Amino acid sequence: MKRSVRRAATAAALWVALSPVAMAAETGQSLYNDNCAACHQRSGLGIKGAFPTLIGGKMVTGPLPALIPTVLNGRGGMPAFKSDLTDAQMALVLSYIRSSWGNKASAITTVQVTQARIKASAAAKPKNLQAH
Amino acid sequence: MLSDPGTGSGGAFTRRRFFEQLAAVGGVSLAMAGMDALGFGFASAATLPPSLPGGAKGTRIIILGAGLAGLTAAYELGKAGYQVQVLEARGVAGGRVETARKGFVDTDLMGNRQECDFDDGQYINVGPWRIPYHHQSTLHYVRKFGVQLELFNNDNDAAYVYFEKGKGPLAGKPIRKGQIAADARGYTAELMAKVASKGDLDAVLSPADRQTFIAYLVNEGRLQRSDLSYKGTDGRGFDIAPGAGVSPGAGKETTPFAFADVLNSKAWSVLNSVAGWEQQRTMLEPVGGMDMIPRGFVKNIPEGVIQYKALVDRIQQNAKGVKVSYTDASGKKAEVAGDYMICTIPLSVLKNIKMDVSKPFLEAMSSVAYAPVNKIGLQMKTRFWEEKHWIYGGHIYNDIPGIGTISLPSTGWHSQKGVLLGYYSFGGEAAKISALSPDERAKFAVAQGQRIFPEYTENFEKAFSKSWHLDPHNLGGWAEWSDESRKAAYPVLCEPDGRIYLSGEHLSHLTGWQAGAIESAWQQIAKLHQRVQQA
Repeated sequence: MKRSVRRAATAAALWVALSPVAMAAETGQSLYNDNCAACHQRSGLGIKGAFPTLIGGKMVTGPLPALIPTVLNGRGGMPAFKSDLTDAQMALVLSYIRSSWGNKASAITTVQVTQARIKASAAAKPKNLQAH
Repeated sequence: MLSDPGTGSGGAFTRRRFFEQLAAVGGVSLAMAGMDALGFGFASAATLPPSLPGGAKGTRIIILGAGLAGLTAAYELGKAGYQVQVLEARGVAGGRVETARKGFVDTDLMGNRQECDFDDGQYINVGPWRIPYHHQSTLHYVRKFGVQLELFNNDNDAAYVYFEKGKGPLAGKPIRKGQIAADARGYTAELMAKVASKGDLDAVLSPADRQTFIAYLVNEGRLQRSDLSYKGTDGRGFDIAPGAGVSPGAGKETTPFAFADVLNSKAWSVLNSVAGWEQQRTMLEPVGGMDMIPRGFVKNIPEGVIQYKALVDRIQQNAKGVKVSYTDASGKKAEVAGDYMICTIPLSVLKNIKMDVSKPFLEAMSSVAYAPVNKIGLQMKTRFWEEKHWIYGGHIYNDIPGIGTISLPSTGWHSQKGVLLGYYSFGGEAAKISALSPDERAKFAVAQGQRIFPEYTENFEKAFSKSWHLDPHNLGGWAEWSDESRKAAYPVLCEPDGRIYLSGEHLSHLTGWQAGAIESAWQQIAKLHQRVQQA
């Protein structure tokens, strides 16, 4: 009995550590670490030949037209995040990327993401229970 | 069709009329089934490879990638007389058709090296794992190469559903799918039947249809014929199972959940009137692992045709032919030339290889997204899901972030151990978990599974995890076309650019399925052959 309680407690601890819902406050950085860092790395450097660096470059720090639709719909092998992140979350994480690791581009607002979402017809889709 | 068109007698049924009506419904539904079979497009499905008559005229074809598209092209073109050379980046054929068993090694882009240490005979299909019965293209080769099949349980009413984001007493509790189905449909049928019997649906139902409709609802929802109420049904299980003698005798059926509790639980998310076309209940799997299919191809393709561990550096073409520069297994630079090329490298990887194609073609190639996809196999020392829970295969649907689906093996019934699928997740959730080390991924999967099965942790022995977006040869599980790129880019890529033909699951509407790769190859080699014939 005791053992199973402890096991459940360990499970709960790990759960809290990984659940975005349980996080006190979601920040651009926490969203980045959860959704982007697996490929682009916490350093933002990416992996050469596979995942591009997010440091500098027109796509990330340039004027907006390409960046938001890329994150919404995916491109060149990058996954689509239109169903994973809300407009507010996307604004947070993109602002974080545009102002980290030496990047000095302007912040992105939720409204800008909402507008881009409509323009790119990238409405969130309900998740399927199964894929393949 | 019905002799007595409901004379306002409401829900009062005679036994005879009830059966007459069922027969009437059966007649209609049989007729419908016949029509569906015609209208469903069975006849239009690509079930056989194209015939390639007329000879190959000494044409040399270079095929990049020995996944199912490349293997299909190599096998069929080779049979038709073409000189075929396949370059494959991995040390084995099959591409994403990977089966992890003892000794299987995977090193991802983060440098995580895993060597599968499952017991002999244990395995997990980290790539494709089930074949819908209507994927006759895949089954064509399964049949041809004598690959043994077994049934894959894709829908098990006895499997648990676990939704913790709902509300009420059923939220966060493992519940058998059949119980949720019985109650949700039973109560819904009861509501509809009562409304209809009062005549409230007469605007859309003729009196005769009304009676037939009610008969259908009684049947569908397993309602009490006397008052059209739902009171539970044997199919949702027993508190005391029926058996011998007077005790347990007839046993005692379970009591249904309250309708509000079922609705609030959100567990009904797993219910659909019928399984989706890609998720039909009847699925198949090769005995011993999905890689039996690529192995079947390899046995039937002449030795030397496939060159392994060949990494493509540069793809060139001009008006006369194609040329590929690559690095071979020993690290030496090499070249191979041919007349045409079939390139099956995933677009996510191909974008990093310099290639002579037109600008619009390049632009189209870059517009497709690839799905992050995770799987983990957990070797368990007993098959507690069968022994303790009586669940023989099927899926544990849940809403635990990062887990997606937990699935129980459809093979090795009642043997000592088993490997279950501890998570199968996509998108952002998959990206998050893949950032963990293989050990941490296993810990995560075991801790979450423990919430559903109390036996999980104590039975866990070994794990093997795969993140397809971190595999250097794939950079994603499957292509994901947005509506826009499907319209603009997809048709461009389905046609050759000069002498280069692309092929793979990404160039089909069966993305992520083996059938997509095979049927795309069939289509491209047919086009190529026609061109050679006309040249």
